[in-house]
Amino acid sequence: MNMTTPIEQREFKIVGKSVKRDDVLEKVTGEAQYTGDIKLPGMLHGKIKRAAIAHARIKSIDVSKALAYPGVKAVLTHETVPRVLHYGSPHPRSASCTKDQYILDHKVRFWGEGVAAVAAISEEIADEALDLIEVEYEALPGVFEPEDAVQLGAPLIHEVGPGGNLVLDPVRVNRGDIDKGFAEADFVLEGTFAGGRPHPAYMEPNVCVADWDGSNKLTFWTSTQTSFMVRGILAEVLGLPLTKVRVLVDHMGGGFGAKQDLFQHEFLCALLAKETRRPVKMEFTRHETFVAGRSRHPCKIWLKQGFKNDGTLVARDMKLVYDSGAYGSHGPGVTIVGTTAATSLYRCENVRLEGRCVYTNTPINGAFRGYGVVQSYYALDIQMDEAAERLGMDPAELKLKNVVRAGDIAPSGHPIIGHGLEICLKHGIDVLDWTTLRGRDRTPDPKRPHIRKGWGIGCEMHGSSAYPGIKEQGNATVKVNEDGTVTLLTGAAGLGTGAHTALAQIVAEELGVRFEDVGVIHGDTDVVPWDIGAFASHTTYLVGTAAKMAAEKVRAAVLARAAMKLQVSAEEIDLSEGKVFLIAEPDRSMTVSEAMGPSRGIPAANIVANGTYEPTKSYSFAAHFTEVDIDTETGIVEVKRVVPVHDVGRVIHPIAAQGQIEGGIQQGIGHTLTEDYVIDKKTGRSLNAGLVDYKMPLSMDMPDIETIILEAAPDPGGPWGAKGVGEDPIIAIGPSIANAIHDAIGVRFHHYPITPEDILKALREKGA
Amino acid sequence: MRRFDYHRAETLEHASRLLTELGDDTFLFNGGTDLLVEIRERLRRVRNVVDIKQIPGLSDITYNETRGLTFGALVTVGRLENLSLVRQRYPNLRSALASLGSIQVRNRATVVGNICRASPSADTIPPLVADGAFVHIYSRTNMRVVPICEFFTGPGRTVLAKGEIVTGITVPPAGDNTGKAYLKHGRRKAMELSTVGVAVSLAMDDGVCSDIRIALGAVGATVLRAPQAEAMLRGTRLDAEAVRSAADKAMEECTPISNVRASADYRRDMVGVLTGRAIKQALETFA
Repeated sequence: MNMTTPIEQREFKIVGKSVKRDDVLEKVTGEAQYTGDIKLPGMLHGKIKRAAIAHARIKSIDVSKALAYPGVKAVLTHETVPRVLHYGSPHPRSASCTKDQYILDHKVRFWGEGVAAVAAISEEIADEALDLIEVEYEALPGVFEPEDAVQLGAPLIHEVGPGGNLVLDPVRVNRGDIDKGFAEADFVLEGTFAGGRPHPAYMEPNVCVADWDGSNKLTFWTSTQTSFMVRGILAEVLGLPLTKVRVLVDHMGGGFGAKQDLFQHEFLCALLAKETRRPVKMEFTRHETFVAGRSRHPCKIWLKQGFKNDGTLVARDMKLVYDSGAYGSHGPGVTIVGTTAATSLYRCENVRLEGRCVYTNTPINGAFRGYGVVQSYYALDIQMDEAAERLGMDPAELKLKNVVRAGDIAPSGHPIIGHGLEICLKHGIDVLDWTTLRGRDRTPDPKRPHIRKGWGIGCEMHGSSAYPGIKEQGNATVKVNEDGTVTLLTGAAGLGTGAHTALAQIVAEELGVRFEDVGVIHGDTDVVPWDIGAFASHTTYLVGTAAKMAAEKVRAAVLARAAMKLQVSAEEIDLSEGKVFLIAEPDRSMTVSEAMGPSRGIPAANIVANGTYEPTKSYSFAAHFTEVDIDTETGIVEVKRVVPVHDVGRVIHPIAAQGQIEGGIQQGIGHTLTEDYVIDKKTGRSLNAGLVDYKMPLSMDMPDIETIILEAAPDPGGPWGAKGVGEDPIIAIGPSIANAIHDAIGVRFHHYPITPEDILKALREKGA
Repeated sequence: MRRFDYHRAETLEHASRLLTELGDDTFLFNGGTDLLVEIRERLRRVRNVVDIKQIPGLSDITYNETRGLTFGALVTVGRLENLSLVRQRYPNLRSALASLGSIQVRNRATVVGNICRASPSADTIPPLVADGAFVHIYSRTNMRVVPICEFFTGPGRTVLAKGEIVTGITVPPAGDNTGKAYLKHGRRKAMELSTVGVAVSLAMDDGVCSDIRIALGAVGATVLRAPQAEAMLRGTRLDAEAVRSAADKAMEECTPISNVRASADYRRDMVGVLTGRAIKQALETFA
């Protein structure tokens, strides 16, 4: 894709309108079928026995009492499941992962790891049987922090991989001449940063149902973002051809990235069903979504940057260490994406980056909205604020001076399209009258003398698609039925974001039919075209383009057929709102239904076309302007107001895009202020694996959000210039809060979450 | 969720008998908002639950100027929260009720259930302790009334003997000269367990504090009083300096622990801040 590819301009009929999603009614009435709603005749319930030790060898495991327990139908251990080393995150075209997982192993690598599985006639019986499984462990010394794990002589968690508890070889990026850069600098800032372990806490816990038929074919319902990857790896590990594994996913209650691994329970569910010849369902408790699900990688960052006195950034030296937990999962991808992202955001010609990813005996960290970039941009954006302070400049001015612009080389290696970030910043500065805000009277309100107010800015950019780490492919099949309705077949999962609605809008717009006439078939690997999965903010960008390509083809075929029936040439006619008409004589027309249906000896037709798209990457941009109130006596930070200004290229569905932004802000406020999944550093035990003590912001904690969506930098790689929006908002909000806290009380925080205790402690140290 | 047997009691006598006969691991099932979560999260081993919701006579709410407010064991948090009498006369209790769980939880949960769970962080306990409430206890042999500050013996533990059932609570009348407040400190604004909760109930006569009770939640094995801080304030005009000294004293009187919600030091700090703020808020009644 190159920058000169023109983006088609047109009057949109459906794109850009907040059409009514066709899944909302069934969702709000409870009719929508989620995987957990599935009940099959004779279905058993599976449960997993979890280790209460973080690092150990299993000396013996006795399941005889559990097997004898009334109602129990099967028990599996590492001795009775296939021993196949496999990927945790089975991205098919990614070379960066190490196979490091077994379905069940004779070794335990984190507290909460599954060591056995039970199928029984009820969930309660399966649960009770877990207590009857007797496991004898030989405890091994554990490591719970990356800095301990990389010490010489630290206990090794895996026998595979590069060794030294590294998940992959260090990721190194060098641009320009770092020494020359620092030599030119008038001053240097250096700091360390640390990110916690937020958990996505999607509403729908992980759940799957397995059913084998008489022909030894597995049908597998599961709440996954990546159904074709589940199919591929299940088939590989079970030794089946892809024709013998069918994966189904309909509605999902969120995923936020974390549902794109192949989980232990998914294998075990399939194996228990095979063993018992009965359908088996396995559903996580909320506790299990923490210990056996995936969280964001905790990250420690060292960042040193050189600046000129005019604010020019001349050198960036950065080391990042991501904590992968006990398995690789998305560690390699997160490390590569999070590290290379630091080549950009703020322009710098001399860059040296090193990213590491380290195994620890803690629960597995995986993909989560913002994929490694939440961590690295938190550091970059806060240090940019510090540079402004040092220079006596307004941070808005310094950021504006340094933000990436059109033609700069993006982390992906290709030039950035459009001045998106600059425009977002300028727009926010204007809308808020930022200079006046900065210069406001800062005398505390005499009625609330302990409250301090602050404003901060956070900037971000994020790619749509996982290119170049993964060379992606988007597929769509569009069929025009004989009554003029249209069916789109897509493998893209619907996490609840409204992706299928956006895809239907794109097909309807391109084809020239009404939105209501497009039906979407998804989530059945036997039926829909292959899909890489719903992640990397790419569904609208990637699959949307494929769908547009397919729609373009069927449109031409519909026009040809209508031309034949109208006895004119295809060039003379056009198609809009479900009607084919003569351009010169619009009253001469026929509906798509009439064009497709049988007439005078011509049989009805069903026109089918495929679209396949292999993109590179586009970047979306955002600047968040955030106001906080800080109670200097309790240390509580309240986010009062956020003005998020986003450039997402062409907006397909404004309300859905706005929903993504508001949701990302909610999650980002969470990890910045209250959310942290805490692991005991002595035992590896989870201290708050549940919603009682893992606190996400709720509606009452939410600020006023005045979302502004710009279409400033459309990307020719997406449909009519559309780009992704899913991950962007969670990246910018964090540094905007940290910078606002500094504006309010003059204290810098380099970590998240920033707790009330941290605030009070810092205020005391400052002597306020 | 682990299996348990469900029993419905028709009378207090029936419920009491079931509690005795069914043995250990038998619990009363009232609102169930805590019990069912504890079973699900495997925090409590439960073999039998005895549902008391059908027992007649436990749903009443009465108020008179001599006896005060009395409500039965089945009275939900939401019902009490929405009474204008509670809002006007017992703003500390009202504030605690309104901060418990969510609207959905409050429509099921009962105040008596919240008391009997005996969590040091229970929201409704501090205002009832500050107000000097009484707990009515039924047993098959006799009835007794226990001052609420003597009801708790430790986290999750009370003076209730096997077969005893709390039937209701009486809160003494609130005179026109009283001021009350409850402040809760949590990590978010709703669906939260308090990190620290402070309730104050005070009486002013001619600008002088004739009585004050300060109750501290989530900073000890049970909800605590702050008797020395109270003593420092009785007979004063509750000026800023006196309140600050008393708040400092309350910090010394509490015995918090550190856990994933907050450190002991932070909880102690918050006792100081909230005690001062709660007294100030209670005084606003007279402003």
